[in-house]
Amino acid sequence: MSEHDEHRTPVSLNGLSADDPHLQPAAKNPATVEMVISLTFVLGAILVAGFGAAYWVDAKPWILGATMGGGLFFLGVGLVAWGKYLMPRGPFVEARHEFANSEADRDAFAAAIVERGGGVVKRRKMLAGLLGGGLGIFGVVAMFPLLRSLGPLPKGTLFHTDWRKGSFAVDQTGRRVSSGDLAVGSIMTVFPEGTQNSDRGQAVDQTVLIRVSNAGFTTQKGRETWAPLGYVAYSKVCTHLGCPVGLYEQQLQLLVCPCHQSMFNVTNGAVPQFGPAPRPLPQLPLYIDGDGFLRAQADYNQPVGPGFWERA
Amino acid sequence: MVGVLALGPLALFAASAQANSLNPTATTRKNSGTPNSNIVVKKNGTVIKYGDKYITYSAPSSKLDALGQALFMENCASCHGTQANGVPANGVAGAYPDLVGLGPATIDFWVASGRMPAKDTTAVEAPRRQAALNPQQAEAIAAWVNSLQPSFPYIPKPHLKNANVSDGAALFALNCAACHTIEGDGDALAMSTFSPSLRNIPAYQVVEAIRTGPANMPRFTGNLSDKQVNDLTKYVTTEIQHPNNPGGFGLGGLGPVAEGFVALLLGVGFLVLICYWIGERT
Repeated sequence: MSEHDEHRTPVSLNGLSADDPHLQPAAKNPATVEMVISLTFVLGAILVAGFGAAYWVDAKPWILGATMGGGLFFLGVGLVAWGKYLMPRGPFVEARHEFANSEADRDAFAAAIVERGGGVVKRRKMLAGLLGGGLGIFGVVAMFPLLRSLGPLPKGTLFHTDWRKGSFAVDQTGRRVSSGDLAVGSIMTVFPEGTQNSDRGQAVDQTVLIRVSNAGFTTQKGRETWAPLGYVAYSKVCTHLGCPVGLYEQQLQLLVCPCHQSMFNVTNGAVPQFGPAPRPLPQLPLYIDGDGFLRAQADYNQPVGPGFWERA
Repeated sequence: MVGVLALGPLALFAASAQANSLNPTATTRKNSGTPNSNIVVKKNGTVIKYGDKYITYSAPSSKLDALGQALFMENCASCHGTQANGVPANGVAGAYPDLVGLGPATIDFWVASGRMPAKDTTAVEAPRRQAALNPQQAEAIAAWVNSLQPSFPYIPKPHLKNANVSDGAALFALNCAACHTIEGDGDALAMSTFSPSLRNIPAYQVVEAIRTGPANMPRFTGNLSDKQVNDLTKYVTTEIQHPNNPGGFGLGGLGPVAEGFVALLLGVGFLVLICYWIGERT
């Protein structure tokens, strides 16, 4: 420790007098510092009062935040400055008695517990066994709500949607979609009739309907009848992690997933051409009935959405 | 698909010509941007105005035809040809698209939003910029192209006074937010394309874009009624364009990234400085 720091050697609190160097403020000019600190306190008080007024007149949230934040900030600055510049510098040391018992006391206590307590419990073997049984049963029973909170078993629902042979395609308001509704280059989200307001309908059955041409359109071999009058329908659930694939770029003929930028080619059966999606979006086979309404020929021919372990 | 990509940006414009062949009679739903509407005004057997109380679509005045032809020859014909029917570029037929039959709203949108005449004809996507031609000149060009083959949709005028902002917000979330983001700021899309910001677009151009589907944007015809488009337009021109930022700063509407940047770099940085001041070396 250097010579000019000598007055900062730790001293005991007892026996200090007012002119002791340890009790002098850190600042060289305490009067000025006190004035500055007073200013910050006044400023803080004004801002905090301003917060009250702003709250009273229902001001904008950012005004509430600025007045309260600013007020507390200035109060805090004053407080820290007070402690830092005007308080005695110390450091001070106050001796403290030992918390722990002596080694011998602790050893004697432990020995007494083992000797007397052990014997008492061992005399009641049956009670101890019954207690253990009760606690064990409780442990098993406690698993019930945990397991139940995982929800019902999905069973076959992961493999099928609510699209059936003859399901009408409807929009989010339940209006049936007819063959004149979309111009070429248009897109809409459709559901099998009756599911448009249900959680399952919106999560599992959601389907993008895109009109890619004015005539029947073949996306892949074997799907010649699936897109009458150019209406192509794909599952809206991304095969990567299940985000809604809602971004349609009509000139590029791409469906883009907003989450991880998987891109599906609308014209060839939604085969992914970029991004992490592992499989094409399943295509829904459509037909147009005698009244001009769009209906499903059948359910999707494969599970929609991301992979799961039973999926072939 | 690979072919389209290989041909590059010019081919993108070509595709819009095909996509815009709208047959109004094929739309079964009423009031969807075509004369299949409640109100249809005819003059000499030609439809000059149609629509309903939500949006009226007017044909550009035929008096502007001559002015439009002159402006077209000066600004557009070098790429689209003197008959506006497109010209091949780089040996690709229709690379500069055929404009005939696209409807006045399409022509008006591209010119009035400053996208055409294109500043950079090799760009993948023509951005909105300060319009080179004023709205009347844009209408004149639309009038002349329309005179070659009258077609729909006409230039729209939405009546926003009684539109329902709340319904518009729901429709925006369903139909627009996927590409334009929920704040309407636009975002990057596939293959160097992007969805533009909606912050600075007049109401009638919102309707034009919805009804005509410029560039990669899908078109919304029979699946959105004029009332729904009107609600959407009101939402875009009010809440999207004049957002109520409760925190005082919108930070560009970029979401958690911008907010995290401010909170961590500025907020925590400031706290570190404070700690540095409070602390004392021993």
